[in-house]
Amino acid sequence: MFCNKFLLPRGLTPISQILPANLQKRTTFILKRKWQEPLRKKGYGRRDLRAKNFVYDLVEDTLVKKQKNLSVTLTQYVESVGGQGEVISAKPNAAYNKLILPGYAKYTDAQQTTEKKDIDYAEHSSPFAQRTINMLNRITLGVVMNKDVPWVLEPWHIRVSLRKVGFYCDDSCITLPSTPIKGPDLDIENKDFYVTITINNKEKTELKCRIHHWSTDPSNRLPYVFEHWKQESEPLNIPSDQV
Amino acid sequence: MLPAISSLRTVITRPNYGASVRLLHLSAVTDAARKGTREKARKKKVKVEVQKVGFIPHNLRDKKIVVSRVNKHVDDSWKQIPTDNCYVGRYYRWKVYSIAEAIESHRETHHPTMYDVPDANIYAHVELNMQAEKSTRFVDNFNRMAMIPYKFDHGEQRQILVFSKDNEHYPEARAAGGTLVGGVELIKDIQNGDLLLTDYQYVIAHTNILPDLVVLRGLMRKKFPNPKSGTLGTNLKEMIEKFSNGVSYSAVKDEHQKDFGLINACFGTLDMDKKHLEENLIALLKDIDSVRPKREGKFITRVLLKSPPSKEQFKIDPFLHIAEEVSNKASKKSAAKNEEQLEEQEAAVN
Repeated sequence: MFCNKFLLPRGLTPISQILPANLQKRTTFILKRKWQEPLRKKGYGRRDLRAKNFVYDLVEDTLVKKQKNLSVTLTQYVESVGGQGEVISAKPNAAYNKLILPGYAKYTDAQQTTEKKDIDYAEHSSPFAQRTINMLNRITLGVVMNKDVPWVLEPWHIRVSLRKVGFYCDDSCITLPSTPIKGPDLDIENKDFYVTITINNKEKTELKCRIHHWSTDPSNRLPYVFEHWKQESEPLNIPSDQV
Repeated sequence: MLPAISSLRTVITRPNYGASVRLLHLSAVTDAARKGTREKARKKKVKVEVQKVGFIPHNLRDKKIVVSRVNKHVDDSWKQIPTDNCYVGRYYRWKVYSIAEAIESHRETHHPTMYDVPDANIYAHVELNMQAEKSTRFVDNFNRMAMIPYKFDHGEQRQILVFSKDNEHYPEARAAGGTLVGGVELIKDIQNGDLLLTDYQYVIAHTNILPDLVVLRGLMRKKFPNPKSGTLGTNLKEMIEKFSNGVSYSAVKDEHQKDFGLINACFGTLDMDKKHLEENLIALLKDIDSVRPKREGKFITRVLLKSPPSKEQFKIDPFLHIAEEVSNKASKKSAAKNEEQLEEQEAAVN
């Protein structure tokens, strides 16, 4: 400090005095001598170190060390994260920038214990239901049905088709249009109809589907349509159940 | 060394000595020695010939392609477990099915109203950790035959040659699926060249014909019957059935990731009884587990059930049927126990 005042021109204060003393700084580097200092003789003092004894290998740079997860408590429902009062463990940057800065969460007290029943999901059945709805609304589900064997569309056909594209649900979640869809019928090929998906017996959403006829015999199959969901299509003339 | 030699030279070449001085050497011994060593050194040098390479256009030169390869041993244990009754699979851990559930799910996609292939083959896609006893060593690719309790049409033509000295074995061996059954006369035919070994994929022999069969060892090479591969024994029927109805599979190491092995084996058709399919799969898994290297940790890492034309794959838990991990200590103990039992049995027989 004394030294700084002498070196700096008049009117300037050293930066260490401007910045708060408790500012977090990560300046620790763990080093290891490349050439160890020689052993001392019994009864003798420390030997003088040579230039090579001041060469170091870097063992760890604490600035780039992976930080532990941060525990935060949500102050409100946050989609695909959790409900009010839920304790979340997240990576420190994400927890700070996405939850604490916008005011969605605060740091968890050490003694805090939250039970499952105290968590408030704000009219949602779970924090992830809305995400599932958003994704279901985005897709057009191709329902592959047989071209040769007669069939009537059942909920399990939709469940299997959803499973094929990575959505998992029960038969009880699926409500088909009140008018049964029968086939094989090439008039309904690639025409839009909607089924209702109910998540956790609470949230309801409509899922756009299209029937695609498929034959076991390759020569009998319809030509493959590349990315059918990007093409416009007419609605199937059946009354759909509005949510 | 050099100063010593030069001083020696001065001693040799100096002309005028007194009568009291006797020369050490009269011939140029030192020079001759050096000549020899020089030649040796010259011979030691290997000429490195630099081969001239003509001009290669820049677009045809080898570029070091840096491909980041993903570890094929998938670990999704960091993902959440779903709590909703309708969820998006990609955000969660893979669902683990029971064998019966997985078969039922495949039957749904292959239902007459959908794909209409109710008799499709069902495949086990078994992923292996091919690391051997040391971390730098890997298990070699292997081909094996797993004996399954319920046979199905595997669609392969398997030609089996059966040897036995006892005529009474012949009808039984033929009934079990042996293509050609015979004794010493067959060995003579093979030696004469009347019978070609290449027509037969598998050779099975009863132990009573082994002394006569030794002459064919050079001709048969790897096909030569041995008890380890299950081609030499006393129970001909069981051995032949294993090779005519069994599941033949091969484990193949990944080209870039040597510790990742893959087996794709058909163990039945979807229209078979669920329990029969389950037992076939368990037999297959146990057979694969029998070649586990002697190290700690998992050998079979993941098992998926597939059934084309559907692209779906269902993960099942193989460790309900086989041991997940075998520690070295335990295996040593069990081996010691087995030896003790064998000794006791031998003692009882004697």
